[in-house]
Amino acid sequence: MTAAPLIPRNSLVWLLVAQVLVILPHLTHLPLWIIGLWLACATWRVQIFRMRAGYPRGWVKMLLMLGVGFAVYFSRGSLVGLEAGVVLLIAAFILKLVEMRTRRDALVLIFLGLFAVVTSYLFEDGLLAGLYSLLPVTVLLAALIGLQQGSLVTRPWPTLRLAGSLLLQAVPVMIVLFLFFPRLPPLWSLPQPPARGTTGLADSMAPSDLASLGQSAALAFRVTFDGAPPAQAQLYWRAVTFERFDGRRWSQSHPVQLLDVPEWQPAGEPIGYSVVMQASGRPWLYTLDVPQVQDAPARLMGDFHLQLPRPVDQPLMYRALSWPEARREAQTAPASLGRALSLPETGNPRSRAWAAELVRREGEPEAIVRALLWHFNRQPYRYTLKPPAVGADIVDGFLFDTRAGFCAHYAGAMTFVLRAAGIPARVVAGYQGGEFNPTGGYLSVRQYDAHAWVEYWTPGRGWVSVDPTFQVAPERVERGLQEALGAEQEFLEDEPLSLLRFRGIGWVDRLRFSWDNLNHGWQRWVLGYQAESQARLLRQWFGRFEASHLAFGLVAAAGALLGLLALLLLKPWQRQQDPQQRAFLRFERLLARHGLVREPGEGARSFARRAASALPAQAALIEGFLQRYEAQRYAGAGGSAVELARALAELRRALPWRFSRVERRV
Amino acid sequence: MQARLEACLAAINQVVLGKDSQVRLAVTCLLARGHLLLEDLPGMGKTTLSHALARVMGLSFQRIQFTSDLLPGDILGTSVFDKQSGGFVFHPGPIFAELVLADEINRATPKSQSALLEAMEEGQVTIEGATRALPQPFFVIATQNPASQGGTFALPESQLDRFLMRLSLGYPARAAERALLLGQPRRELLPDLQPLLDHAALAAIQQAVAQVRASDALVDYVLRLAEATRSQPQFAWGLSPRGSLALLAAARAWAYLDRRDYVIPEDVQAVLPAVLGHRLREAADASGHGGGALVQWLLREVPAL
Repeated sequence: MTAAPLIPRNSLVWLLVAQVLVILPHLTHLPLWIIGLWLACATWRVQIFRMRAGYPRGWVKMLLMLGVGFAVYFSRGSLVGLEAGVVLLIAAFILKLVEMRTRRDALVLIFLGLFAVVTSYLFEDGLLAGLYSLLPVTVLLAALIGLQQGSLVTRPWPTLRLAGSLLLQAVPVMIVLFLFFPRLPPLWSLPQPPARGTTGLADSMAPSDLASLGQSAALAFRVTFDGAPPAQAQLYWRAVTFERFDGRRWSQSHPVQLLDVPEWQPAGEPIGYSVVMQASGRPWLYTLDVPQVQDAPARLMGDFHLQLPRPVDQPLMYRALSWPEARREAQTAPASLGRALSLPETGNPRSRAWAAELVRREGEPEAIVRALLWHFNRQPYRYTLKPPAVGADIVDGFLFDTRAGFCAHYAGAMTFVLRAAGIPARVVAGYQGGEFNPTGGYLSVRQYDAHAWVEYWTPGRGWVSVDPTFQVAPERVERGLQEALGAEQEFLEDEPLSLLRFRGIGWVDRLRFSWDNLNHGWQRWVLGYQAESQARLLRQWFGRFEASHLAFGLVAAAGALLGLLALLLLKPWQRQQDPQQRAFLRFERLLARHGLVREPGEGARSFARRAASALPAQAALIEGFLQRYEAQRYAGAGGSAVELARALAELRRALPWRFSRVERRV
Repeated sequence: MQARLEACLAAINQVVLGKDSQVRLAVTCLLARGHLLLEDLPGMGKTTLSHALARVMGLSFQRIQFTSDLLPGDILGTSVFDKQSGGFVFHPGPIFAELVLADEINRATPKSQSALLEAMEEGQVTIEGATRALPQPFFVIATQNPASQGGTFALPESQLDRFLMRLSLGYPARAAERALLLGQPRRELLPDLQPLLDHAALAAIQQAVAQVRASDALVDYVLRLAEATRSQPQFAWGLSPRGSLALLAAARAWAYLDRRDYVIPEDVQAVLPAVLGHRLREAADASGHGGGALVQWLLREVPAL
């Protein structure tokens, strides 16, 4: 007996195709030996089908499994975690192909495939990925259908067409479930590997870090303003501040030091906007100063950045109001003043000396700041993403020797000099500007828009932001990085295919804007449709609304749908039941309670006789009911069902009361 | 009237020992104006039963021993030249009796078999151009031996269908056989049997049987049975309308014997194995016409109410 007829040809064909389609999007993060494994297993499977090869023996399977386990361990360094887990899953998905003997095995394979499709969303959840995943799902569905078809159906295309039309028919259900299915919080969260490779701001800054960001066109976030967008030069998106300097690297203060709520008063007109933020792996939001955020559990920290309880691992949508003219900690001396003045004990003597000279010459803090900015503006400083190397004293080397660098250099150096001059100051990291998409009416901020600037504190005015980079390369702030780099440096030289390289060509721009707009919509309306937005929408539709109502409504709707289906299938209105028959059913139920169940082929009389012999005390009543029933039903005697009901009631009174069924008597 | 019938049954049971239900079925068959096929080994009392039936019911009895050289004329009768009258005179064959026992019907050639079967169906015979009516009532009991099939011509399905019932007497129970061994020879008892019914009474009974009420609910049960044989895969073919008519007619007679003027499902179930057993064939069984398992399935699975 061979298993060949058990898994029909059609199903096998579509299973193989589905495996390719399922594995394909995973290839970006799978080790390459997976391809070899799949080819080997698929060949083996086809040979089994052609009866040229046998199923693997137990020890071969064991060997394969161990081999795959070792391979995963060596290529991923672990057997647990997201990356290794997915590799293991895909490997199992492939190996099962060889082992598959019965329909049940094929079912397991198909369900594994569907799960593998879902895991690919962990790595890529864009519009294209979402649309693509419909393809493997359709083919897996075709394999499932093929499994039920028997080996006589050999043409694969009708099966696929059937699967496709089934999927299309499921679209309304999909939409309803998407809209109404409760968004449950995750039962557990998957630890994201640090090597996940999200580009973005880090919690510390050496100058070279922002330069690498300058090479990345990955999206950081998108903003839709309520009114007209402010001028490009006003768009300073704060993420974090760096207050500590160890001589080489600026880093964030410990969160505990930032816990006290800062003092500020709203002033002027607020700007309202909503942000769809990409996963950053960091617990910060991006906002304009001074923000108030709705519908995100963020807290305004002592340095005016917004901190979330956990890192942003998936796209996040939030609304914010910002008062750009507000005064920050103008009345009281902030607790962070000490941190904003601290410098390493030694290093950068020339900068310190220059700071002392500035204090002597200018006196007032505002004058010192003005002098510093004037210095950057007048002296031959250059803006470049590839600054020459400097020595141990990076501030000295930048300020007096190389005079070439980008925002991080300028901001770091200026903060250093201000602190040396006794003015509290810190580096603010975030993004500056962004690209306005006229098609969608929103602003896209990309990683190369990452920026660093300075804020200093004076009594009475509080914290004031200044941007030294603006003095050196005003076009960076006004028109973006590409303009600032000029002709000698290649913009985005690591991404030769990016459409962003061809900015300014009319149709490319239009294409790019439209595509970006589509992705934005996907992010905002599909991926961003989480618990809060669902609640908002449903409140808008149904007025007052509770999560429990939603769950209840969903269950009720599903129940009603099933009920309707059952009515349609069973058609109870077509079952004509005369009153005698109903009375007899009650008689049957009564006796069933006493362990007497009528067989389908058992007539009324034989059943009643059996019951009478089992319940001799009530035999007369049972016989009485039977006589009436037979007379009405078979002898054509008149009489109404009321008589039957009365006889039945008598019998019920005579029988001992039973709460539950007694065991069936045979 | 039923009292007289029960006296008949008791009288037959005096002769055929321990076969109450078969005797009852045989009488039922007679009351339903049907013919009976007895299928059993030799020496089981088939002839005795037929004889006893004939005597008790007051019917004239003829026995035809079917052999392979039996000709239709031997059954129906022939015209013989009579010297005195100078013409052909018809000599009626053994079929012109009220109860005909066709012994070992499957030993005769199909031609002779069909002569009998035609007579059974039509109630008349046509010999040499002249149609002659058979006596009323007319009742055929055919027997066949299921065990030795050598040199026999099995009845085709279409002819099996002409018999209302097929019965098998089977071995007697131990007590019955003891009484049989100790008692008088059965043949000697037969002349002592007194006719308990006359033709008029029998005709009246048959008339009354046809009047027994079959309610809608009961007809629904018969229809469900017929539908089950037509729709379920284990049946090689479904029941013919003649089959369901036969079932209802036999059930009416059974109900009448039970002193009721209406039929209940139990009546149908009582006659069902005898009436349907030879009309059904299992799909898995290409040649036989057993039907026993199918009959049991029908009794068990088809909802009676």
